[in-house]
Amino acid sequence: MIEFKEVIKEYPNGFRAVDGLTLTARHGEICVLIGPSGCGKTTALRMVNRLIDVTRGEILIDGQPNDEFEPEVLRRQIGYAIQQIGLLPHMTIRDNVAIVPRLLDWDESRIRQRVDLLLDMVGIDPSIHGDKYPRQLSGGQQQRVGVARALGADPPIMLMDEPFGAVDPITRAILQEEFLQIQQEVGKTILFVTHDIDEAIYMGDRIALLRAGRLVQYDSPDDLLAMPRDDFAREFVGADRSLKRLHLISVKDSMMQSVPCCEHDATLEEARACLERHHSESAFVVDADGILLGWVEKAALEASQSLSAAMQRAPAASIAVPEDATAREALSVLLSHSFDVTPVIDADGVLTGGVSIQRLQDLVEVPGIHAAGRDGRP
Amino acid sequence: MIALLGGCIASFGFFFLPVIELKPNRLASGLPVTLLEIPGDWRYLLLFLLALSPLLLAFLGVRNRRGWALVAVGNLLALLSLYLPALAGGVYLQGAEALFEAGTRISNPRILTSAAIATGLAGGYITLFAGLLDLEASGVSRWARGLAGAAGALLIALLLAGGALDVYSIMVEYHARGEALALRFLEHIVFVLVALAAGLIVGIALGLWASRDAKAEDAILYAVGIIQTIPSLALFGILLAPLARLGDANFLTLAREWLLLAALAIAAALILRRLYARLPARPRQFAMLAVFILALLPLALAAVLSIAFGFEVVLTVLTLPQLAALREATGLALVLFLLLMAAGERLRLERRLPRYRQWRFLPLLLAALGALILLAQAAGALLRQRELAELTMRDFGVSGIGTAPAIIALTLYSLLPLVRNTYAGLKNIDPAIIDSGRGMGFTAAQSFFRIELPLAFPVIMAGVRNAAISLVGIAAVASIIGAGALGDFILLGVNSTSIDQILLGAIPAVLLAVILDAALKLLESLMTSPGIRQA
Repeated sequence: MIEFKEVIKEYPNGFRAVDGLTLTARHGEICVLIGPSGCGKTTALRMVNRLIDVTRGEILIDGQPNDEFEPEVLRRQIGYAIQQIGLLPHMTIRDNVAIVPRLLDWDESRIRQRVDLLLDMVGIDPSIHGDKYPRQLSGGQQQRVGVARALGADPPIMLMDEPFGAVDPITRAILQEEFLQIQQEVGKTILFVTHDIDEAIYMGDRIALLRAGRLVQYDSPDDLLAMPRDDFAREFVGADRSLKRLHLISVKDSMMQSVPCCEHDATLEEARACLERHHSESAFVVDADGILLGWVEKAALEASQSLSAAMQRAPAASIAVPEDATAREALSVLLSHSFDVTPVIDADGVLTGGVSIQRLQDLVEVPGIHAAGRDGRP
Repeated sequence: MIALLGGCIASFGFFFLPVIELKPNRLASGLPVTLLEIPGDWRYLLLFLLALSPLLLAFLGVRNRRGWALVAVGNLLALLSLYLPALAGGVYLQGAEALFEAGTRISNPRILTSAAIATGLAGGYITLFAGLLDLEASGVSRWARGLAGAAGALLIALLLAGGALDVYSIMVEYHARGEALALRFLEHIVFVLVALAAGLIVGIALGLWASRDAKAEDAILYAVGIIQTIPSLALFGILLAPLARLGDANFLTLAREWLLLAALAIAAALILRRLYARLPARPRQFAMLAVFILALLPLALAAVLSIAFGFEVVLTVLTLPQLAALREATGLALVLFLLLMAAGERLRLERRLPRYRQWRFLPLLLAALGALILLAQAAGALLRQRELAELTMRDFGVSGIGTAPAIIALTLYSLLPLVRNTYAGLKNIDPAIIDSGRGMGFTAAQSFFRIELPLAFPVIMAGVRNAAISLVGIAAVASIIGAGALGDFILLGVNSTSIDQILLGAIPAVLLAVILDAALKLLESLMTSPGIRQA
């Protein structure tokens, strides 16, 4: 747990980089500090391990003021990863990851084990890359090593300053996803600085929005998107905040159980009755096991002799979304087809429900609906 | 193209410049002989043909074959440029009397090497170089190229050893003064290495200071630049008076003063550091102030008393026999403490070192051991002659002229490249690397020795090589203030307008510079981490 208590950083010229920051990053959570450049987020981060000294106020780590430790002792207990990575170019990958354990005087066999474990964890094969030097690795691999190094001595707390900032967007997305998986395993308390709102929403358990050294809002991603406190916050999260919220909501949580559907061997009358019942222009067709086969439209029903002649067959993956998809994906499918409802299927292809535009609208109007939905994310 | 240049230079020399010079005695002016004037012997034609052949070979189409041909011709040209004139010289010497006007005093007539030999050598090696470039381009292995390039030099060395070139007067001089030359050569090496070592310590410290402190940065770089512009002769002169005075000082007194001062400084620094580290952040500033006053007060008092009553008196009081027990106890504790700290740091350091890097400390250890043995021997020799108390600084070589000012001046001259490169090397390190190191918990010293120094190492070594080479040159001037070294030969040669003597001093100096540079380069490549080595 990291607590900022009325923390002020004032420079000799009177400039306040951080101005009365009070904030608690809870145990095992990723707390994202975000804001425009110059808002003091990096300064706040660097005050935690005393790379920058606090002018007034105090920072508690698990209840202890951080200036009770020697700076070096403190830093060896806190993982530190930065955008520029800062791997030591004259040391091998293994030696880089082993830096903090060596500073802490672990014995070599334990270090060796730990290093190989960490490299495996971040997806770097130690037997292939372990004895290489940083410049022989790609940017993405270096970022991974940077993360492994920050985890080196298994610190309870990690400070990450745009740790995935130096790579292309595709690699960044992969690294973010992998890091969340690692975090599920290790459960560190993490202070995470970024200027990218999408990254903040994706990575953060809670987001602290800063402006000119002051805390504007500190909320879960969903609440920040649903209820930005003022114009600055609204502008910062962006006009597409509803779309971003959909990204946080899983289909499973938002789908309706009842959708217009009929079995493929139903008669035309049964099909029409089904459409009537749902006041719908189209219905989905499933087989006897409930597996989605395609869809049928009202106009086609009128013109055809049987249901099988009227229905349009399509692979389920092209018209439906899986249960663990986000609501945003469901919306995307909705927009690219003519149905009123995006069908939802489970792992076996069985139709389990659907998501309508009306339903999505309802969702984004209700704040906090998704507070518990973290596990449902991709 | 390069081969053409080599051929042109060599041919020009052989056509128009004298090959050798015939002197009736040491002082008289010589009789120049060009290659064409050497009476009929077909062998000398070979030199012309060889000199001209690169001009033709350069137009050969096949790269590999052209390369080998040029290398062969270049080697041969260099070799024969030295050897054939020596043959001719031998013939000339036998009939020397007949060549000069009647009445010329003929005593020890001699053969001097002249311009055409130099152009022949230069042309030969330029051709050789062109050939090596061709071979490199056609993918001949490094070893083969090295061997081919060195073949001529090896043969020349064989000729030298076999006495085939003894007819030249430089060789005559060499045989006459070989022992003195070896001694001066050794002196030269010692001067350069000692000055380099001293310069390295001071230079790295200054470079570090300049890179850390923006205020001192300009002043330091400017100051070492100024030193470089002082003519070496003037610097030797400036050092004359203060060093002469220091030389008269009694060794024991001086040593006692310095040791005491050093001990006080170290103790104060240690106490300050420990106190400072233990305090919480806020009272630190006040504590610092208090400790400074407390620590500096006795020092200031001692300084004032020393001025008033003389250092001798203060020292006597401090060294009163009544205080002996106290002194010994503190001294012992201090030494013990230092030893423990050093041992602890050493042990921890070793456990952290990646295994493959540990052997790198071997040369350091050997160097330190060698220096210690030398010191012990010197001290032993000194002690056997005189009582310790009678020794003055002069007995250790400190005096206005001679070794001490030479080494001090050389050290000063080595500073510019060392400071500048240390500064540049440290400044050029990516700040993110140092930041991440600090963020992971490196102390300032750990950061310097394990991150900054290894990263700046190649740049610093470039400065060391630069300094070493220029020191070899400047050390020759030290002979003016009686320090010896190879400059003795050069000065003697200049005074007696004897080219041979000058060359006898200059050639070893050049060789020394080349060998030193190669050795330092090897050291650099051995000690630079593969992670930052230039590809």
